[in-house]
Amino acid sequence: MGEAAILTRGLTKYYGRSRGVEDLDLVVERGEVFGFLGPNGAGKTTTIRLLLDLIRPTRGTAEVLGMDVRGRGVDIRRRVGYLPGELALYENLTGEELLRYLANLRGGADWRFTRSLAGRLDCDLSQAIKTLSRGNRQKLGIVQAFMHRPELLIMDEPTNGLDPLVQLEFHRLVRERRQEGTTFFISSHNLPEVERMCDRVGIIREGGLAAVDEVESLKRKALRRLEIHFAQPVPPEAFAGIPGVRDLRVEGRTLTCSLAGSVDALIKAAARFEVLNVTSPEVSLEEIFIHYYREEPGGGGEGHA
Amino acid sequence: MLKNVFLKTLRDQRVSLAWWAVGIAALCLFLVAYYPTVSRTPSLIEFMEEAPDWVKAFIGESAEDYTSPSGFLHGELFFVMAPMLFIIFAVSRGSAAIAGEEGKGTLDLLLANPIPRRRVVLEKAASMAAATLGLGLVLWASLSVGAALFDMDISPANLAAASLSCVLLGLVFGNLALAVGCLTGKRGRSVGIAAASAVTTFFVYSLSGMVKALKPWSRISPFYYYIASEPLKRGLNAAHALVLLAASLALGALSVFLFERRDILV
Ligand SMILES: Nc1ncnc2c1ncn2[C@@H]1O[C@H](COP(=O)(O)OP(=O)(O)OP(=O)(O)O)[C@@H](O)[C@H]1O
Ligand SMILES: [Mg+2]
Repeated sequence: MGEAAILTRGLTKYYGRSRGVEDLDLVVERGEVFGFLGPNGAGKTTTIRLLLDLIRPTRGTAEVLGMDVRGRGVDIRRRVGYLPGELALYENLTGEELLRYLANLRGGADWRFTRSLAGRLDCDLSQAIKTLSRGNRQKLGIVQAFMHRPELLIMDEPTNGLDPLVQLEFHRLVRERRQEGTTFFISSHNLPEVERMCDRVGIIREGGLAAVDEVESLKRKALRRLEIHFAQPVPPEAFAGIPGVRDLRVEGRTLTCSLAGSVDALIKAAARFEVLNVTSPEVSLEEIFIHYYREEPGGGGEGHA
Repeated sequence: MLKNVFLKTLRDQRVSLAWWAVGIAALCLFLVAYYPTVSRTPSLIEFMEEAPDWVKAFIGESAEDYTSPSGFLHGELFFVMAPMLFIIFAVSRGSAAIAGEEGKGTLDLLLANPIPRRRVVLEKAASMAAATLGLGLVLWASLSVGAALFDMDISPANLAAASLSCVLLGLVFGNLALAVGCLTGKRGRSVGIAAASAVTTFFVYSLSGMVKALKPWSRISPFYYYIASEPLKRGLNAAHALVLLAASLALGALSVFLFERRDILV
């Protein structure tokens, strides 16, 4: 079965007259960790709830694991784990009761595995859910999504409310499951996190996909900042007209610039002088992200799909 | 109790169900214990003979009607009190089923499981029916026990007929609440519309005895099929019971149809 894990064609959802998502064409391959990034109201939750057949598209189609979400929702959901963005749990149950109930609805789950998941996330199963803090509820939500070892995990802002240590454990969990061949579709606003977890990232803006790219190549294509420190003051003219260099500033013995693409020409130009140090502050996806967002819709920038 | 949606729904209401059962049993025993006093009160008999028509329309045609066991239970319990209690109970279950859970936001988690929406609605409807039927059994049992204790001469079979009618009536409005919840996802609207329908159809039926213009309409009222055949006196009227059952089933099916089609609110 070579189908994609998720495939949408012209997927569109309007809530009355307000836009949820519009003409979304998205492909998530099997076995990858796909990050779905976008600011508030971009349409992440809408897309995810369309995939689970909780809401129905205005037009367009979506397939999950090769099956149409409208026709075969039950078969899809058997093989998918889901963490809702607005997680609400049964307040009157304990964590363990909740997990047992959800496992029963799926025809059982591996209880040892479930316990080990809960243990790793430091999630107390014996407490009544109404007494749990927000982060501890989120842990339960994560455990229930993983516990039946689904082929595909669809998670809406999974690390919402988790403390940094638990976030790291969650990242490890994702990497482990990925090694076993699990596919992930994870929405987030947290860019460093997506950098760490994901193979590919889709950036959604105002209901449409603004860009899809490998995390690595996004970083490569993006503007980097470069600082070169020289032993003596250097003439700015020596660096004029080098391809890919922007915002060039030379102040005494320090050159700063932004750079897209290869550094080769710049380094060769700099090599004519005595170089003390070259630094390139790591560019976070955040800056790349902001870079995408600054562009007007339809405006051509590198990396646009 | 966490095996499936049906059992979980029953489990969620086990405490409230227990209180309802206690309340209904207490009410029944209290009423029956009070009966010997009523049946021997001459002033009440006089009062009934002179009562205006509208009073009679509500509590029975004659004093004899009122002081007989079936007349007494009709006027004191089965005409207003019992149907009101059963309707309140069933409507609260019917509105909690989908709209209630949707309001709390847990429906996303529930429906992400590999179960069709249709089954969620049907299991929850079944759980509402089972709980209401359970209360019906409590009603019947406590009246029967009370009648035996206080020498009230009424057959358990007729008490069963009246209790069952009460359950069936409650379920009609419970299923209406379920259907409105399945359509709108709003619990308040579901309770409101079901309660308003119950009050309206109650008055359509009870006033149709006096107001000529309402006469033809009485048969659209579920209360007609609940009580017009006088189950306390004559036992169960199968045709009337079936009408109520059919109305419940139709509303249940409508609920499934409506719920399958719409977006789940966040
Ligand atoms: N039930 C609804 N009714 C009307 N509009 C809605 C509804 N749900 C979402 N929207 C609108 O659809 C758009 C997309 O919302 P969505 O919840 O998918 O965003 P999101 O990317 O998940 O945002 P966030 O990061 O805040 O979770 C928003 O403009 C929102 O106002
Ligand atoms: Mg969201």
